[in-house]
Amino acid sequence: MKKFYLGISALVYILILSNTALASKMNDNPKVVVLSQPYSVSDDAIMQILQAIPSPLEISMLIKELGTVYNKTDLNNSDFVSKYNTSFKKALNLGVYGTDLGFANIYSKNQDALNYLSSVKKLADGLSIGQFFDYQTIKKLAESANNFDELLMTTTSNFEKINYHLSQQGRDHLSILLLTGGWIEALHITTIVQQRSKHEDLKVKIAEQKIVLDQILKVLQMFKTKPEFPGLISDLNELKKVYNEISIETTYGQPTTQEVNGMLVVMDNNSSTVKVTDAQIDKITSLIRSVRNKIIR
Amino acid sequence: MKKIFLALLFFSGILFTCASTYAQCNAELYINKSMRSLANGYQFSKSFRIDGRGGARKKIEYTCVFSKDTNYQINISGKDGGAHGIIGTLYDSRRNKIVTSYYNNKFSPGWIYKCRATGIYYLSFTFKDSKSFCGAAVLGFRR
Repeated sequence: MKKFYLGISALVYILILSNTALASKMNDNPKVVVLSQPYSVSDDAIMQILQAIPSPLEISMLIKELGTVYNKTDLNNSDFVSKYNTSFKKALNLGVYGTDLGFANIYSKNQDALNYLSSVKKLADGLSIGQFFDYQTIKKLAESANNFDELLMTTTSNFEKINYHLSQQGRDHLSILLLTGGWIEALHITTIVQQRSKHEDLKVKIAEQKIVLDQILKVLQMFKTKPEFPGLISDLNELKKVYNEISIETTYGQPTTQEVNGMLVVMDNNSSTVKVTDAQIDKITSLIRSVRNKIIR
Repeated sequence: MKKIFLALLFFSGILFTCASTYAQCNAELYINKSMRSLANGYQFSKSFRIDGRGGARKKIEYTCVFSKDTNYQINISGKDGGAHGIIGTLYDSRRNKIVTSYYNNKFSPGWIYKCRATGIYYLSFTFKDSKSFCGAAVLGFRR
């Protein structure tokens, strides 16, 4: 009888183990090697801050909507991809090319978009996350150029997937590099377009990046002991010094909500004012160019 | 021996149920669903996984940076069907509540927020009468 109970107990134990393994497989792509325990508190905390960094598409759309002209030389050269040999450089430039890809897509520069797409694919493969980037679908969408919204949505969602899976693999340090690279490129493009066009909206947008930079530095600091991180952190801290002189003042009011065709529509009664000088914008322009040059060269 | 066996069987049952429930949250499905429901003119920006791990997590919160003069749409969907069981709430940087998707005693699929102040916002998700504790939300923007 004792043997019977022991046998049943062992069977139940095996069943639980296999169920847990199945659970894990159902949540993750089987190709992924999970390098660290997912869902630890710190992983969640990092993921939550990472989510704060806005998509570079927001700035790119603003630049396009202001009627500015596309200038290929504002973006990174897609042929530089072979120069990026370390995971650090690959992840940063994956972000850079991601922004450039979005920018070329917004301006319907199909050939440029395809070149960036190819560079993105190479870097994603180099970081062993190429399987999460649906290259063929995006390529097809970019070539057809008939479905602009679908192209942007698919590209953004693919970059999100890459980020998510990096995080799930315990490679959050690469995830933050990807986002940082994308943000630096978007800010760099904004500064050079602002220098040419002198648009007040772009000046404000550059100043508002103060909030995003704070979030980025918060996560980068968590990885300050990793190779090559101290240099990047130090460069961005220099940028932060300039941003510290810029003020964003907010006044608070009660929002109003109404239901329109089943959707809640909220009117914000808060407002914010940015105080920034041309000299501060010039300093940011110069510093971001220098940081970006270190990344892409 | 019989008592030990029964106790082991009981705890194993609990563990098995927990593991099964946890396995069932495939947020990706609901990201795609929410993404496709963004209103015309809204560009997909981000997605937020809402995995309550079978009820073990009561609140899931994300930080967002929103820009003034931009409209943001949040779309929620979950395993319980539509937005049922999931309450999304947006707070400003001072933690003042701006909007909640549980409006007039019903689960709204989301909201459109016409932002006039650049800053940090907090997007939190909680559960009410949820069976699955599983879903996702997406953020779209329009200038």
